[in-house]
Amino acid sequence: MKINRNIIHYIWPVASVLMTAILLLILIGVDLGSAFSGFFRGMFGNIYQISEVLVKTTPLLLAGLGCSIGFQCGFINLGAEGQLYMGALASSVVAIFLGHLPHLLLIPLMMVCGFLAGGLWALIPGVMKAKFGLSEVIMSLMFNYIAIQFIALAIRTWLKDPEYPFPMSQPFTESAQLPRLVPRTRLHIGFIIAIVLAALVYIFLWKTARGFQIRACGCNPRASFCVGVNVNLNIILSSLLSGGLAGFAGFVEVSGVQHKLMDGISSNYGYLAVMVSLLGSNHPLGVAIAALLLGALDIGGLSMQRSAGVPTSLTTVILGMIVIVFLLRHHFGKKEKEISHE
Amino acid sequence: MNDTALLVTNLLFASVRMAAPLTFAGIGESVSQTSGVLNIGVEGMMLGGAFTCFLVTTYTNSFLLGILAGMLVGLLFGTLHALICVTAKQDQTISGLAINFFVLGLTSFFFLVLFGQASTLPDIKTLPVVPLPLLSKIPILGPAFFSHDLLTYVLYIVIILTTIFLKKTDYGIQLIAVGENPMAADTSGIPVKRLRYFASMFNGLMCGLAGSYMMIVQFGFYIENITAGRGYIALAAVTLGRRNPVAIFFVSLLIGLTEGVQFTLQSLGVPIPSQVFSMMPYLVAVIVLLFSIGRSNDPSALGVPYDRQERS
Amino acid sequence: MQIDMRNIRKTFFGAPVLKGVDFCVHSGEIHALLGENGAGKSTLMNILYGLYKPDDGTITIDGEEVSIEDPRDALSQGIGMVHQHFQLVNTLTVSENITLGLRETGYPFSKRKLIDQRIKELSETFGLDVDPAKLIKGLSVGERQRIEIMKLLYRSAKIFILDEPTAVLSPPEVESFFNVLRELRNAGNGVVIITHKIGEVMQISDRVTVLRDGEGVLQSRLEDTNEHELSKAMIGRTLTQREHEIRSIDVTSPRLVLQDVTIHDGKLSLLQNLSISIAPGEIMGIAGVDGNGQQELAEAIIGIRKLSSGTITFNGNKVDGRSIIDRMNNGMGYIPADRHNDAILLPMNLNQNLLLKKHLDPNYLNHHFLKRKKAESTTKNLIKEFFIKTPSENTAIRYLSGGNQQKFVLARELDSDLQLLIAFQPTRGLDLGATDFIQSQLLDLANRGVSILLISTDLQEIISLSDRIAVLYKGENMGILENDDQLDIALVGAMMGGKRLENQ
Repeated sequence: MKINRNIIHYIWPVASVLMTAILLLILIGVDLGSAFSGFFRGMFGNIYQISEVLVKTTPLLLAGLGCSIGFQCGFINLGAEGQLYMGALASSVVAIFLGHLPHLLLIPLMMVCGFLAGGLWALIPGVMKAKFGLSEVIMSLMFNYIAIQFIALAIRTWLKDPEYPFPMSQPFTESAQLPRLVPRTRLHIGFIIAIVLAALVYIFLWKTARGFQIRACGCNPRASFCVGVNVNLNIILSSLLSGGLAGFAGFVEVSGVQHKLMDGISSNYGYLAVMVSLLGSNHPLGVAIAALLLGALDIGGLSMQRSAGVPTSLTTVILGMIVIVFLLRHHFGKKEKEISHE
Repeated sequence: MNDTALLVTNLLFASVRMAAPLTFAGIGESVSQTSGVLNIGVEGMMLGGAFTCFLVTTYTNSFLLGILAGMLVGLLFGTLHALICVTAKQDQTISGLAINFFVLGLTSFFFLVLFGQASTLPDIKTLPVVPLPLLSKIPILGPAFFSHDLLTYVLYIVIILTTIFLKKTDYGIQLIAVGENPMAADTSGIPVKRLRYFASMFNGLMCGLAGSYMMIVQFGFYIENITAGRGYIALAAVTLGRRNPVAIFFVSLLIGLTEGVQFTLQSLGVPIPSQVFSMMPYLVAVIVLLFSIGRSNDPSALGVPYDRQERS
Repeated sequence: MQIDMRNIRKTFFGAPVLKGVDFCVHSGEIHALLGENGAGKSTLMNILYGLYKPDDGTITIDGEEVSIEDPRDALSQGIGMVHQHFQLVNTLTVSENITLGLRETGYPFSKRKLIDQRIKELSETFGLDVDPAKLIKGLSVGERQRIEIMKLLYRSAKIFILDEPTAVLSPPEVESFFNVLRELRNAGNGVVIITHKIGEVMQISDRVTVLRDGEGVLQSRLEDTNEHELSKAMIGRTLTQREHEIRSIDVTSPRLVLQDVTIHDGKLSLLQNLSISIAPGEIMGIAGVDGNGQQELAEAIIGIRKLSSGTITFNGNKVDGRSIIDRMNNGMGYIPADRHNDAILLPMNLNQNLLLKKHLDPNYLNHHFLKRKKAESTTKNLIKEFFIKTPSENTAIRYLSGGNQQKFVLARELDSDLQLLIAFQPTRGLDLGATDFIQSQLLDLANRGVSILLISTDLQEIISLSDRIAVLYKGENMGILENDDQLDIALVGAMMGGKRLENQ
């Protein structure tokens, strides 16, 4: 009986997500076989497809790491999307106005500016929470919309490339582009940087005193305060790092993939990052795995659109479903724990 | 009527239009938050309500069926949120965000499947204006507040009824108790979970109504992600309005005023990029949030799942 | 009315809390449910009140088997309970709290006037003074307790279950509270009073049931038993009172001096012109009923709260305005009353909880990196030294019993060069073994020259440990007494109720 229960516990979440996908596919009348084969070929079909998955994984991993630092400190940063845009904007401004600088100088400068811009954008709700007790949740969400409109404004006015009719910035010079890892793919060195940063975040949060403080503040801010930890400072610091990593994701997107600033450089990466962080239990390793999964899902969805004409929003549906099922998994199919109070 | 008066009237009229969906959603969220359930899924529930209302109205040509369908979808997601947060005791913020994502996916998916091939933007009729006798004759305010459609009047009624409900009835007291000290409510014999379900479902209904309003009063057409963060703005209004329906309406009016200003300036031909205006409601919402500093009186148990066995 | 609970079993986390307990109470008696902390008294009564479901066993009322699913069922059967932590809604009025969840005339538009009228009547009948129109926020614990009892009276409860009701009362208040209980009994109600104080049982009850480790070990009419038998039943041996040992302390050069310390919160005055000093090796006991400024006092000294006026000097240096860390580095230690919120990280393990204090200590750091091995070995040592019962140092602290959590908090404070320890309710909620251990540790510490500020609402604890006793009432010091042979305990009790010591 016990084994049965366990199997059900693991099967029902997967099954319900799969059933939803199949149901929607049947509803729009596509051939299930070609849809699924398109989906899987999209993810692992060839070197190029695999590289595309990693290209998608990179910003998700970076922004996901950012969210996880915030969550570890109890700073619920839902503003990664806006921070990513601000990071992209700052790096683009550097790339466009200082495009003549040598590669080895320009790229680090773009990195720093991207990181800082994202970090400062998150710092505002961070300071508001720490100093005035204002909820960071709504604040950071508002900042997403403001940032997106601000970038939209920039590329239509002062950053607009006059040679094109479309709202976008000038293309970056060679020197402002991240080098490719594999020829004839879009996979760039940002992927390696993201992996390295994941390791650094792990070391920071789990091995250093400051990282410990951040996690202690997230775990019990009152107790941390009572032993003399400056909780507000940690919230502010974690908001800066959290936004900084999201801003870094923005840098990686414009410098590694797009090579210019335009609308929609982030396809909801900032929101996906929240879910990446949640699914990865706010741990860098978990975040990396979750980012890879979501990246693969995204590429699979795109490929399914090409091969069977399925709208890519199916991926969004599946993702939302995964998170909902993830939230419900403890309750259904597993016996509730009882906690004594004495 | 001179030009200034006309301008003010038009501004206010546009503000009411913009404020109405925010207020509907804000009232739902107020009831939900009073009971201790934070739901940032208002965005998704509004979007789901809007799309369903649009769909049903398009195919049946019935406003009433459209509104009911929109509310039903809101109700479904409100119930789902309660299932996740009240029964499974999971994080309310994450649950709301997941619902927003799920709904965004679903609506985009079906919109593309059903209307993707259409060459023109599909649209529906909007509700006719029915000026209220006497009230609409009040100078300036009359045409601004009482020359609307029936759904706007429904909003006024909802504002009055929920105010009475929250402030004057025993249900309101019970709801406050559940949000402030669920253990006290439980030991007094109040069914805590049932009330939280009720509040969450009511929130869903109101958000569905808010979405429907956007369709059949405000816009008359649908595009992907048409709510574009209005649900989140409603949350800001709830925070400053301190869960008081009337106050939420006025805060929403203030936010709505930016849209009114946009129309006015555009009609006057002032060359300001549209992005500046698109940004305005969010900026105003941020300012609104700043004004709530130090005034917050959130229920003590807001965001905290209730578990009878788990006591300190 | 007669309630019988038969063979009640309940398990939490696989650990049996109740192992087949029988209990019965009927109208017209005051029944004491006696037992140590953790014996299962509250759990048993929470089952009767419908908050917990028993794993096994039956409940019958007047011979008829009933199933009590939730408090609503219990209330409709006439069973009411007042919890140790009062269950009132701060943002509602007294009247709204009393009728919370009821369907009164006019529901859902209840007639407040009628309700308030009835509250007034009940209030006069039972001598319970309450003002229906006031908000709960701002009321004293005593008033809150009256409202809790009024709440049950209003619901026409026939059986009143009161969980440790005297813990929040000063000795004179206890006396008038017991009169209310007698009034209730004489009006034909049954009263169950949960307690761990044998003196109270002897004073008020008609019958007594003793629980030990989740088992009923004794049930008797009061006249058929005595204190000796009760204490033996409760702890398995005769209770030996810790004898107070009179020590001579040199108080000429105090280590900690508080001068006119005042803390305001808005208009509310939480501490008022408080002046005390503690010498090296001295235990200064702060007596008083809960909520009379103890929390503010402890937090002001360690630096969690800012002073509105006054000064605090430690070893001759002014410390107010300095940070918490600074004060701790200079030899202050703090054991908060609310350990779950103020002292530990429940989901984290013992090593990490040690690091919560030590992560800034240079001994545990290697260029910003934590020395995990060192933390582990320290934790292991502390576990051994303080007899902390835990599977390992890598166990999350939430799985430890309250007593072992508290031992850990104490051990963590003691593992440094301590000069002053603020011990705030250090034994609250602990069983006798843990209490005894912690009290011995405090005495040891004082004998080694550490100054101790012992803040406790347990007067017995204050008297058996302190060298001098100050009494807090509404944030003011009622006076300081030498704890010697001449100590007048009745006077301390009166001071806890607001009597000011002359000539101070």
